[in-house]
Amino acid sequence: MPTEKLIVIGGDAAGMSAASQAKRRRPDMEIVVFERGPHTSFSA
Amino acid sequence: MRDLKGDNASWESYDQLLIATGASPISPDVPGADATDIFGVSTLESGLNIHRRLDKGGIKRAVVVGGGYIGLEMAEALVMRGLEVALIDRSAQVMGTLDEEMGALVSQALRDVGVTLYLAEELVEFETASGKVTGVVTDKRTLPADIVILGLGARPNTALAGAAGIPLGEKGSIRVNERMETGIAGIWAAGDCAESFHLVSRKPFYVALGTVANRQGRVAGINLGGGYATFPGVMGTAVTKICHVEVARTGLQEKEIEALGLEHVSAVIKSRTKAGYFPGAGEITVKVLAEKGSGRLLGGQIVGKEGSAKRIDTLATALHAGFTVEEMINLDLGYAPPFSPVWDPVVIAAREVAKKL
Ligand SMILES: Cc1cc2nc3c(=O)[nH]c(=O)nc-3n(C[C@H](O)[C@H](O)[C@H](O)COP(=O)(O)OP(=O)(O)OC[C@H]3O[C@@H](n4cnc5c(N)ncnc54)[C@H](O)[C@@H]3O)c2cc1C
Repeated sequence: MPTEKLIVIGGDAAGMSAASQAKRRRPDMEIVVFERGPHTSFSA
Repeated sequence: MRDLKGDNASWESYDQLLIATGASPISPDVPGADATDIFGVSTLESGLNIHRRLDKGGIKRAVVVGGGYIGLEMAEALVMRGLEVALIDRSAQVMGTLDEEMGALVSQALRDVGVTLYLAEELVEFETASGKVTGVVTDKRTLPADIVILGLGARPNTALAGAAGIPLGEKGSIRVNERMETGIAGIWAAGDCAESFHLVSRKPFYVALGTVANRQGRVAGINLGGGYATFPGVMGTAVTKICHVEVARTGLQEKEIEALGLEHVSAVIKSRTKAGYFPGAGEITVKVLAEKGSGRLLGGQIVGKEGSAKRIDTLATALHAGFTVEEMINLDLGYAPPFSPVWDPVVIAAREVAKKL
């Protein structure tokens, strides 16, 4: 099966919580997070 | 995707897409709103912008527009920096998520730390000079201002999603199912851009809170990672503080209960945060609301000194469990003089409500 690719738009509480959960379960998954600001996870 | 530095646009393909774009502070549609030294607070960066502006100096008078928790917390921060702070709100109380008598306690707490309140006053425009804000005009007066902080609530960032045809719900937030999947297969949403479900009213509900964003994000991530998780919903539980006074709420407030056509009874009690004789015991006021007849807990609100706010978690848990106020009376909660009176204040309030059913 080819690697599945997940795109996340927004790298704060919701986006990073989701990305880390998905990666933990599926280490092979390709995950790209787009964040327009200079910080990530400031409220996670 | 558009590069923020240049304007190179590019395409990225995906198998699954999660929209977690959050919310943006509401900017008032009044003349002068684009002047400098008017700040919304949303991201870490927006907070730093205010910090940098204050550090630059020349700021003595601040006006906070909006008396929600962000307005309150900003008022606290500005008072602590030694500024002269005024707060305006179009409603007759601050903290609109509390009932009137509980909101009045918060107003008093603001006045006690030196914030001047102008309630039931509508923002009309901003006075400006050379593009910089100099005053806030309400329907009753003009307040001089060197800096203005906006606390008018937040709107979900869903313009892109809406334009892409993803179904939206409450207040324009993205409609999701219990697994955080949108109406379009392969597209998910979580956090301040996504809709929630109110566990007490059993209706779609929108609330922008980090607590909810973390839980929804977790659920979306588990599902995206091939697992199975659901997000049941929220009850509007929230805590804040203004200097030494803590504020908390959960569930439905009076006006929400009335809008649902339910009959309710409530009680407001005053107690202490520790045993009355224990050093440092402070006042705490608790309001509990329950359905008339059945006694089903519907909501609760707390205002009081240190040690008050997190007591809301007892009420929130009871609410999750669908308890009646009678069932709360025998909850086996902890007690020792440094922590609470023998009857915890939230249970005292539940007992009072139970007497009125
Ligand atoms: C001053 C303040 C105090 C708060 N205090 C509390 C509190 O005490 N307790 C609590 O529970 N909640 C609190 N909140 C709310 C909490 O911060 C939010 O609910 C939480 O940040 C929501 O997380 P999120 O990931 O959904 O969205 P956000 O944190 O808004 O993150 C969304 C991210 O997406 C990015 N983004 C948006 N659109 C795009 C795009 N098109 N392309 C790329 N990136 C994009 C944004 O830059 C942002 O970083 C507070 C909020 C504020 C403003």
